[in-house]
Amino acid sequence: MSAKRTKRGVASLLLAVASIVYVSPLFIILFNSFKSKTYINLSPFSLPTKETFAGWENYLVGINNYGFLQSVGWTLIITVGSVFAILLFCSMFAWFITRTKAWYSRVLYLLCIFSMVVPFQMVMFTLSKTADTLNLNTPWGIIIVYLGFGAGLAVFLFSGFVKSIPLEVEEAATIDGCGPLSTFFRVVLPIMQPTYITVGILQTMWIWNDFLLPYLVLDQKHYKTISMTVQMMRGSFGRVDMGAIMACLVMAVIPMIIFYLAAQKHIIEGVAAGAVKG
Amino acid sequence: MASISVQHVSKVYPGDVTAVKDCNLEIPDKEFIILVGPSGCGKSTILRMIAGLEEITEGDLYIGDRCVNDVPAKDRDIAMVFQSYALYPHMSVYKNMGFALEMRKMPKDEIDRRVREAAKSLDIEHLLDRKPKALSGGQRQRVALGRAMVRNPAVFLLDEPLSNLDAKLRASMRTELTKLHKKLGTTFVYVTHDQTEAMTMGDRIVVLNNGIVQQVDTPQKLYNAPCNIFVAGFIGSPQMNFLDAVLQKDGGNYCLEVNGDRHCLPAERAGEELKPYIGRSVKFGIRPEDIHDSDAFAAAHAGSLIDVDIDVSEPMGSEVFLYLKYGEFELTARVAPTTALKAGDHSKIAVDMSRVHLFDAESKEAILNL
Repeated sequence: MSAKRTKRGVASLLLAVASIVYVSPLFIILFNSFKSKTYINLSPFSLPTKETFAGWENYLVGINNYGFLQSVGWTLIITVGSVFAILLFCSMFAWFITRTKAWYSRVLYLLCIFSMVVPFQMVMFTLSKTADTLNLNTPWGIIIVYLGFGAGLAVFLFSGFVKSIPLEVEEAATIDGCGPLSTFFRVVLPIMQPTYITVGILQTMWIWNDFLLPYLVLDQKHYKTISMTVQMMRGSFGRVDMGAIMACLVMAVIPMIIFYLAAQKHIIEGVAAGAVKG
Repeated sequence: MASISVQHVSKVYPGDVTAVKDCNLEIPDKEFIILVGPSGCGKSTILRMIAGLEEITEGDLYIGDRCVNDVPAKDRDIAMVFQSYALYPHMSVYKNMGFALEMRKMPKDEIDRRVREAAKSLDIEHLLDRKPKALSGGQRQRVALGRAMVRNPAVFLLDEPLSNLDAKLRASMRTELTKLHKKLGTTFVYVTHDQTEAMTMGDRIVVLNNGIVQQVDTPQKLYNAPCNIFVAGFIGSPQMNFLDAVLQKDGGNYCLEVNGDRHCLPAERAGEELKPYIGRSVKFGIRPEDIHDSDAFAAAHAGSLIDVDIDVSEPMGSEVFLYLKYGEFELTARVAPTTALKAGDHSKIAVDMSRVHLFDAESKEAILNL
């Protein structure tokens, strides 16, 4: 009994250390964002003191000098638009290919799964060229690109859930007077709510934090996402403003942390949903 | 309210799998008809074709005087109760029941009136605000019935609606469904593989096997006069005993030779139909309740006594099932609970030859049902 308890204690200690290691960068960024930029480079791991404390200055610089709020706006538009498109189209698509027992349904499903295993780096140059040619280099256009990249995981998760919905429920809806669209929107969609939340959270976190895709695709003269703005701070005005970078990183990451903490329960629920027959 | 006419209907699935073959059924208005048969016999497929959930490969289907082959399910004026109830999990009981009416854009007052009326008659008024997951199996079953009732459909289709309930609840729901049918006065088409449900609930029973209708008749006629060995074996529990016999003519009597014994049929009831079978093998069927262990019966039927070994005795309370060995054959007898016979005994028991069923050994069709 005591050996078991010791084992458990050691495991807890190791996990606690691992958690601290994982979370520490966030805290380092947070307290550095309140330090004067000179001291960030000199002693990056020390807490702010009376001497080094800069108050909200770094935040104001980030907002006023680097167009941070504008980039938040573009990031928000891209994230909301892309996540909405992924949820709507991928759930409908997954429902269709799961319920249609044709050879092409299987092929389409496998194509979606295949898209998950192709590394982004393999396609990024052809993608940026194609996106440019098709005038997808705007926040509206990049939504379509994100839809393509997000489809693999979304279709995989939605298909898994649809398989767990008894077909009889949809047949009951047909007898009750629903056509395919009303069956989807009035019956299937509300039942799939846990998977919508999961896919929504995963895609939101990815798209909000993504740097490479918008960097390659967007017309940088007119549109910058948060990650691009932070990247631009390195070397803008001839020097690196670490204080502003830290402040912007904090401002960028806070919405995601709140979002994740509020929704983490649903992520597990949604991933597990469809795994076993209810 | 409407009649249903199934005319030469077949259903062939991709891969040339025939689920239903040339099915013909006439179901009059207000009838409670049961489709029964083993798994995969095509009973649910017929029901689903009536519902409009499966396309008909061949033939015509009429509800009332309207051919509905190409009419979508929602326009057939039918309601269906599924085996799993198929309630909408995200909706309350009230919403579940009113959904079909809402889809038909019925005024809210009317929806409310109908839902409450149906809920009252099914005694589920107190459950209207609950979600399906907060209901027991029996309550879900009632909600599924209520959902069908509010629509006031011409035809009720029920696909094994009691199979997910426990034995006690199933028995009480059987009675309630029969009462409901009488109260609504609507055509009920009911699918089950449980012959107790079939025998107790239906006005008529359709027995199916391998997608082919075997016999359509009242429960009693099916029991007393099965048209073939399949129906004879399927209807009745424990099932009918079958023995291989040879038909002989002994003077003026027709007799059956089984295991070296000779049992004669009542002369006045066996007639010309047996003539072609003289000297040929036939299947001799006898129901468990027509094998008797009482001394009085044995004394009166000395010519139909058989020597048996009692293998197992199963007391059921109101009766006892005896599993017997008669030569190479295994028989089941249903006897009174007062029987003195027990496992391991060797005894002579009597077969009631006035209750014999004979079947053609090759075609399996009935030759004689006494």
